[in-house]
Amino acid sequence: MNVARIGIGQYIVGVALSAGFRERALSASGGVVGRLARTKSRSELSNSQGGLPGWNERFKICFMFTSSGKPVYSQFFSSYFAAVIAVWLAVLITLCLGSALKDKVTFFFCAVMVSSWYGGLWPGLLTAFLSWLALDYYFITPLFSLGISTEDLPDVLAFGATAVFISWFNNDQRKIKSSLRQARDELDAKVRERTADLNRTNLRLQSEIAERQAAEENLLQAQNELARIARITTMGELAASIAHELNQPLGSIVVNGDACLRWLAGASPNLDEARQAVEAIIRDGTRASEVLVRTRKLVRPGKGTRERLDINSVVQEVVAWSNDKLQRSGVSLLLKLQDNPPPVTADRVQLQQVILNLVMNAIEAMLEVSESSRVLWVRTEKQFLGDLLVQVTDSGAGIDPKHSGRIFEPFYTTKANGIGMGLTISRSIIEAHGGRLWVAKAERGSTFCFTLPTNREGRRG
Amino acid sequence: MDSEEPIVFVIDDDASMREALSRLFRSIGMRASVFSSAEEFLAFKRPDVPAALVLDVRLPGLSGLELQRQLNGSGIPIIYITGHGDIPMSVEAMKAGAVEFLTKPFRDQVLLEAISVAIKRDRENRKDRAELAECQSRYCLLTQREREVMKHVVEGLLNKQIAAKLGTSEFTVKIHRKAVMQKMKAGSVPELVRLSQKCGCHL
Repeated sequence: MNVARIGIGQYIVGVALSAGFRERALSASGGVVGRLARTKSRSELSNSQGGLPGWNERFKICFMFTSSGKPVYSQFFSSYFAAVIAVWLAVLITLCLGSALKDKVTFFFCAVMVSSWYGGLWPGLLTAFLSWLALDYYFITPLFSLGISTEDLPDVLAFGATAVFISWFNNDQRKIKSSLRQARDELDAKVRERTADLNRTNLRLQSEIAERQAAEENLLQAQNELARIARITTMGELAASIAHELNQPLGSIVVNGDACLRWLAGASPNLDEARQAVEAIIRDGTRASEVLVRTRKLVRPGKGTRERLDINSVVQEVVAWSNDKLQRSGVSLLLKLQDNPPPVTADRVQLQQVILNLVMNAIEAMLEVSESSRVLWVRTEKQFLGDLLVQVTDSGAGIDPKHSGRIFEPFYTTKANGIGMGLTISRSIIEAHGGRLWVAKAERGSTFCFTLPTNREGRRG
Repeated sequence: MDSEEPIVFVIDDDASMREALSRLFRSIGMRASVFSSAEEFLAFKRPDVPAALVLDVRLPGLSGLELQRQLNGSGIPIIYITGHGDIPMSVEAMKAGAVEFLTKPFRDQVLLEAISVAIKRDRENRKDRAELAECQSRYCLLTQREREVMKHVVEGLLNKQIAAKLGTSEFTVKIHRKAVMQKMKAGSVPELVRLSQKCGCHL
């Protein structure tokens, strides 16, 4: 029969349409996953590798939405009302078109599809039922009655079945679509929540970093101050040496001044000699001020500026400071310096402090042995791997084994008036320069050694 | 050149100080010779004239005080200069016979006065030493017998007593005594006593 054939055709169209919607729904969900992948972290992505929630879950979401979400009653009724209107419109159009429309069921299928798509299963089924009644009443013989001839029964049943299927599938599609939308919305919400979380964590981390930086700066400042105090303590011990170093040029200045006056006095002053004396005075004045500048550098708060410097010059400056103390303590000094040592990148004042500290320790270590055997060796040596090795060896009694493990600990001292920070500070200075400081047993006393890198920049400290 | 013109030796490891001091001495027309170390000074052959030594206490190698110990035989007066006001060291130096101990910076007047004292002292020392040498050379001319006679004369013994002690005649003692007085160039017995004391001959 005509009607039945067309009904089956419509069914196929309906199924195809449904399939189309599913395709689109899936691709839309793929889009959601893609967006998730872009916003979520890698670990979260691996969790969402399943992509969409399973079908069951989707239905669950859908039911949750309809049951726990707020069902809008007006919308509920309006969808049934729309179903009635759709059928009524289909009847109207089909009647208007009359015999021009060969297939009377077309618009009824449309009505079923539209109301099931927008209204859901039950409005769809209502439309199907009403359409069936309308078709039976208006278009199936006997017209204007609800009776069905046996001849038309299969067609009518086919229509009914097709309409029910269309309603069913459309409803299915609708649910999938809405559950997808919901999933997407939830994901969006989650992403927003996570992003907010991340932002909060980020802010907290930033404030923590700032706090830590401030703490580190304070620590560095405290360390610098401590190192300075240690330097001042050492300088106190060297006060006599510094006074000597200063008195040397001052002595020359006074003698030259007196000589100058004598050359200028008398009937025929010797201007040439007087000028030479004044030049010598200027030279010595500069020399005295250099001593002061060098001493001030050791005493004032350090800025920690690093420069490329010759380790031998640093050693020689320290030796110049301690020369007087060495002589007074009856210590003979043996210097063995590397020829043309590679330059090191270091803070001059800090290195001087380390070497001075080691030299002063060595002198004190030898006060207990007889004067004839007090020898201090200071060596600089280029190492095989390019590092510079500085060794300070004394001929004292050596370090008591019960102290040897602890001498680098802060506030650990074996001296009556020491603060116990010298070696601790020295080690931290050398380590900040990317080197190492350690103690070894020497033939008679002990050897303090440290290395400094020459082929790379020392680590900032 | 006057062989008796005094000379000042300066030992200081500070070149600038050496230069300044030699300039000062030059300005007053005093001979000066400068050295950077004690060893350098010891290696130098000093002229035989009155001298003073201006010495820095702290020197590389041999220190000032050690040099003083080595030099004590030659008796050159020493004036110390130092960059320290080190009391124990100055005491030690003065005990060892230093003329003066000056702390840098010092005025020229103080140094020059000390130098003039030192040179005066050296002159006297030299005179004493010359007399001693003369006295000793005279003593060396005496025979063994004459020395014995001289010893007893200085002790105040009479010729008779000396003759008894030596177991000779008084006449022989008289002859020896005359020879002693001649060789020692002594006009009287008290002068002979003074000479014998000066040359410290242990008679």
